[in-house]
Amino acid sequence: MAEQIYFEDVNVGDAMPGLVKGPLQKLQFVMYAGASGDFNPLHNDDEFAMAVGMKNGVISQGMLVMGIVGQAITAWIPQKYLKKFGVRFAGMTQKNSTITVSGTVTDKRVEDGDNLITCDVIAQDENGDVKITGNFEAALPAKAKG
Amino acid sequence: MADLSKAGTEYAPMTWEVERGKIKELAKAIGDPNPVYLDRDAAIQAGYKDTPATPTFLTVPMMWCGQMPDIINDLKINFMMVLHGEEEYEYYQLIYPGDVITGTPKITKMEEKTSKSGSKMDMISVEVLYTNQRGEKVAKARSLLIERK
Repeated sequence: MAEQIYFEDVNVGDAMPGLVKGPLQKLQFVMYAGASGDFNPLHNDDEFAMAVGMKNGVISQGMLVMGIVGQAITAWIPQKYLKKFGVRFAGMTQKNSTITVSGTVTDKRVEDGDNLITCDVIAQDENGDVKITGNFEAALPAKAKG
Repeated sequence: MADLSKAGTEYAPMTWEVERGKIKELAKAIGDPNPVYLDRDAAIQAGYKDTPATPTFLTVPMMWCGQMPDIINDLKINFMMVLHGEEEYEYYQLIYPGDVITGTPKITKMEEKTSKSGSKMDMISVEVLYTNQRGEKVAKARSLLIERK
């Protein structure tokens, strides 16, 4: 089990522990299609994808890349503390890409008794091309006083 | 081209029974090895009631209930020209296996924008507030769809 994380442990400017995944295979897009219900042929049919202008064939579901960002976040900040998670899809993710997720804590405050942190997140491929930018907010427990 | 007069439209509610197997399947498809999503005992040890739904799990009812294609048709959006621009979740409480969640998609905003390069596109915001079988709010999802023209 992961070590308990406390509000006191997290500071503005801290880097979120990174995550590297890949190369992402077409098989994973197909698994994700079945799991999520997104059967758009852009993600599972190379001929179709090429016919609509994707020169390398199928591309990843954007939501799979968001899921990978979610994996990175909740490996560090447990799901039960997560309050908000939002992303902007900045670019298409080709098959065989390797995705690196990183992030930085941008804010820390106490609001209505909640110990809140905000953290920026970004997902990039092996060329540094940005796939996702976003942020999340979490409410963390404080260490017991005394 | 999107029918901008549809802003404010609410669609039929979608109801989804959350299963432990589906939570695990989505985590596996993402390749997330976190045991709290895969194993009930590990989840309980980590302070959960059961394996919680992953951060992006709400895409499952949205896609599997089949509402999205209907909404896209009703809004007269060309499916081939749609991009998923943004996705955002607000979490009010954890979603667990056995929960029956209901969400009502609503078109909160539709507007035409012109990109820096001068091409026009329609921006469509869809919001879904999910409640559980006890009528409690569990989460809100907001999606921004972009139709290139």
